[in-house]
Amino acid sequence: MTDFQHQAIRLTSMQRPETWLESLRTKAADDWLAQPWPTRKTEHWKYTPLQNLQKTILHAWGREEVPLLDTLLENNLAPLNAYRLIFIDGVFDPFNSSKLPAEVVQFSKANEDQQAVVLKYLGTIIEGERHLFATLSNAWLDDGVLIHVPRNQKLDKPVYIVNVSTAAPVTTNQRVLIVLEENSSAEIVEHYFSADPVQQGFVNSLTEIHIGDNASLQHYRLNLEEEQAQHIGAVHVDLQRNARLRGFAIALGASLMRIDYQLNHRGQGGELDLQGVYVPRNNQLVDYHTNICHWVPHCRSNEAFRGIVGDSAQAIFNGRIYIHQHAQKTLAELSNKNLLTSSKAEVNTKPELEIYADDVRCAHGATVSQLNTNARYYLQSRGLSRSEAEVMLSFGFINELLEQIAQPVVHDYLQPRLAALFGRDNSLNEASSLLGDSNG
Amino acid sequence: MSEQVEHLIKKEYAAGFHTNIVSETLPPGLNEDVIRFISAKKSEPEWLLDWRLKAYKAWQEMSEPTWAHVNYDEIDFQAVSYYSAPKSMDEKPKSLDEVDPELLRTYEKLGIPLHEQAALAGVAMDVVFDSVSVVTTFREKLLEAGVIFCSISEAVQKYPELIKKYLGSVVPQKDNFYAALNSAVFSDGSFVYIPKGVRCPMELSTYFRINEQNTGQFERTLIVAEEGSYVSYLEGCTAPMRDENQLHAAVVELVALDNAEIKYSTVQNWYPGNEEGKGGIYNFVTKRGVCHTNAKISWTQVETGSAVTWKYPSCVLRGDNSVGEFYSVALTNNYQQADTGTKMIHIGKNTRSTIISKGISAGKSSNAYRGLVRINPGAEGARNYTQCDSLLIGDKCGAHTFPYIESKNPTAVIEHEATTSKVSEDQMFLCQQRGLDAEKAVSMIVNGFCREVFKELPMEFAVEAGKLLEVSLEGSVG
Amino acid sequence: MLRITDLFARVEEKEILKGLNLTVKPGEVHAIMGPNGAGKSTLGNVLSGREGYEVTGGKVEFNGKDLFDLEIEERAREGLFLAFQYPVEIPGVSNMEFLKAAVDAKRKHKGDSELSAVEFMKVAREASKRVSLDQAFLKRGVNEGFSGGEKKRNEIMQMMLLEPSLCILDETDSGLDIDALQVVANGVNAMRSPERSFIVVTHYQRLLDYIVPDYVHVLANGKIVKTGDKSLALELEEKGYAWLEDEAV
Repeated sequence: MTDFQHQAIRLTSMQRPETWLESLRTKAADDWLAQPWPTRKTEHWKYTPLQNLQKTILHAWGREEVPLLDTLLENNLAPLNAYRLIFIDGVFDPFNSSKLPAEVVQFSKANEDQQAVVLKYLGTIIEGERHLFATLSNAWLDDGVLIHVPRNQKLDKPVYIVNVSTAAPVTTNQRVLIVLEENSSAEIVEHYFSADPVQQGFVNSLTEIHIGDNASLQHYRLNLEEEQAQHIGAVHVDLQRNARLRGFAIALGASLMRIDYQLNHRGQGGELDLQGVYVPRNNQLVDYHTNICHWVPHCRSNEAFRGIVGDSAQAIFNGRIYIHQHAQKTLAELSNKNLLTSSKAEVNTKPELEIYADDVRCAHGATVSQLNTNARYYLQSRGLSRSEAEVMLSFGFINELLEQIAQPVVHDYLQPRLAALFGRDNSLNEASSLLGDSNG
Repeated sequence: MSEQVEHLIKKEYAAGFHTNIVSETLPPGLNEDVIRFISAKKSEPEWLLDWRLKAYKAWQEMSEPTWAHVNYDEIDFQAVSYYSAPKSMDEKPKSLDEVDPELLRTYEKLGIPLHEQAALAGVAMDVVFDSVSVVTTFREKLLEAGVIFCSISEAVQKYPELIKKYLGSVVPQKDNFYAALNSAVFSDGSFVYIPKGVRCPMELSTYFRINEQNTGQFERTLIVAEEGSYVSYLEGCTAPMRDENQLHAAVVELVALDNAEIKYSTVQNWYPGNEEGKGGIYNFVTKRGVCHTNAKISWTQVETGSAVTWKYPSCVLRGDNSVGEFYSVALTNNYQQADTGTKMIHIGKNTRSTIISKGISAGKSSNAYRGLVRINPGAEGARNYTQCDSLLIGDKCGAHTFPYIESKNPTAVIEHEATTSKVSEDQMFLCQQRGLDAEKAVSMIVNGFCREVFKELPMEFAVEAGKLLEVSLEGSVG
Repeated sequence: MLRITDLFARVEEKEILKGLNLTVKPGEVHAIMGPNGAGKSTLGNVLSGREGYEVTGGKVEFNGKDLFDLEIEERAREGLFLAFQYPVEIPGVSNMEFLKAAVDAKRKHKGDSELSAVEFMKVAREASKRVSLDQAFLKRGVNEGFSGGEKKRNEIMQMMLLEPSLCILDETDSGLDIDALQVVANGVNAMRSPERSFIVVTHYQRLLDYIVPDYVHVLANGKIVKTGDKSLALELEEKGYAWLEDEAV
């Protein structure tokens, strides 16, 4: 039993839970205390030590009036024509959020039908008691966002959920539940960023997604926080028959940045594409664990993650593909490519295949390397300096994935920011979009 | 396809007979007295007994590893006998003529004639029967070249400095649970020493045979290749068919000094258990080699036997420009389980490693590749290329790939690729439309799948390996 | 040689052949043409015994035997050869190893002894020359990394080595340029003999300029709707198939 586990339990009593969620919460609190704390020997935390987190003081929940952050928001938000939900340190900011459609509601404001949807789907994708921080999310539950798109409906605008962490010492439990009924579709962007380089809080986030028969979702998860941040998050997805998911994830580094993706093909004909980019620098750490499970035949998965790891940063990628005995005719591919740009940086990657069906086509590949010296030589021979060439090639390495982002506003938002991170001038891109060239 | 192939005839494990011979076998159980007995039996010096006891102490504190993707009933280490030797071996025979004819017949039956005139030309053999080495052939011829090839017990007597210097230098006593157990109770095994600049004039080979019931085999092999030398070594293994599981926990240590090269090949055909998964050998082996500057170690393994295999022949690439290679075919059928792979630890500059792993799962078996490629901060310019392919035959088996890649040097280049596929219906149809029967078609496709590894084996054994694969696959393909 | 009587066959619940009749006598060359989806490839697959093709009615007599009593490889050893439309790649299995095994299987079936490696290599090299395939292809994996044309020529080479009595060429001409087409056609023509018959399944008339058929059949909606001599092929080239498909309904 660690101090962190105790502190966490103490915090549960300071929540104000909706009574209809109480039983879920109580059970989770018990499970949380019963689970062993991960050590270096725990396979899924092998490279991401939790010693620091263990010593972290878990502050109280953000309860104050939300601070006025209008200018900051203006400067940091993607100019997305969307239904916007803003949370500051986990507290809903009604002033900067937009008027919400019937499909989007906070748990605390849910009507009876919506409560029924939450109760039916919340916490059902994975066995919570086996995932420590999902259990914690349940134990800490007092509110969340429900996005429920009924049959044959298409959400007319993207939903844009923004989570801002200020310098305030607070703990945040961010919970999102997305339920797409048969034949529906939606586009959802989750955006995390810091309002201040000083970060004293801890964020635990969990997004659960149910994609019904023939429904389709575009989902973006942007973790663009400052480097002192500590964030453990997860995205759990169930795909039913012929469901489609297009997912994109990006993380800058942080003091602790661990994101788990659990994706289940539960119905035949499902298709999922998941792409991710990570760029930890300085002393930061990024850890993506993805687990794609094929439980049924005739589904397709394609996953590609790329990272550039510099300075003394550390990147961990663990991508598992599991093919159940019944999941014949599966097509699954996983690729993880890493650029290691400093002698103090470190990459640990583990692409796993676990296969119990024989009529499948699966492949994974992983590379760790530095920049292609031939390409650099070519650029240098055209007059670029070595460092210019390296920056250009590094950016190019991740830009291959950025270029595949389907939502043009998200693409246009991310590309220059990442370019800037690599010291690149974006004026050419801007010029070309001014001239009417599409970037997306 | 499944039906056709399921009808294929089943062939028995050919090496499954038992030799009736009077043996001296210790009662089951493990304690310090047992270790003292083994040590005394071999008239070992005091330091070695201490070394064993230290290992035993460490082992008692350790617990069995559970991370491998295998499942088996807990082993009762007190129910195993830790020493068994044919009575006739009490006094080690000085020549083949003194060896019990029953023993010689055993090896003839296994296709390994020991008389030098009948033996495979160019291959020197050390044969280990339960806990003792029976005979080593071509010793004189090898000694002419300065090559030492004898049992490790003999080496302890004759070359104590070499043993003292290198035993446990690659796999320390406390390296892992099974290595510690082996260090405590190892009975025999082979010792090879190639002097500076010598290219060993023949292939060296050790053949391991478990015969006695309820005994474990704990052999220890040590190969030292001095600067600029070369040796190619091959080991083979078989055991009788029994309903009980038997334990085999070996340790192999390779030392390749500057510019030396060691090629180590294994054809592992321990009894795999029967169709229902009853019996078979538990094969828990630690194999590791250290490469000094410009040295090269190449592991090639064809694993078709054993009920459970837990084995990761590894290379510590300590010297600059050293090279490590791992070529593996692992075939599992019925209820066999294999968790095997390699570790390539890059320490020196410009070190290179290649891993080619081919896993074939059939029946209800489980076959996992587990590998580690670690690039230390100082390993400038290190390179690794890994390719793991799995072939599934039937839908009740599993094929898994768990590669760990850890890089701490930006100038290193690591590439890993893995695929999983099955023998496709189209491939089967093409072969059959050209007149091949299903069995021939499958064995041809599987052999093609393994070709990159087989070509690394010494010629005579490549053919053997191909045949072994056919036998192991029979009755399984589905 | 071959007598197909009232053949019905289905693939995955879908009826493809619906009462097909065809008799091929020794030495004859029959061309089967027809629109896409008429069942042309199904015929070859059914005759050679491919899994997934279910015969629901009718019978086929091949050299006096009931074809459906025979396994895939038995049909092959009896002399039935299918040149595939899309030959599959078998990585790692060398072409020559594969071919020798096939030739030996056939020889054993006839009661002949296996060929020695040298004997086999001689005939294999001769055959590869005749289809203008470099000998290097013998050493490569079966069809592994071959171009479309090389795969087709490899099929014809196999045909030469196996000396079948009935050759079914399934769209062997598709994807070939004119030079490759000539090579393939020359190979086929060289094998024509009074004992050997051919069924040439094709979509295009141009192949029949090189391999002149004795009969041309039109396959539409699962049966033969018209039979003629080689002039029928020219007529089809001109008019298309629509006028015949109506007749089939």
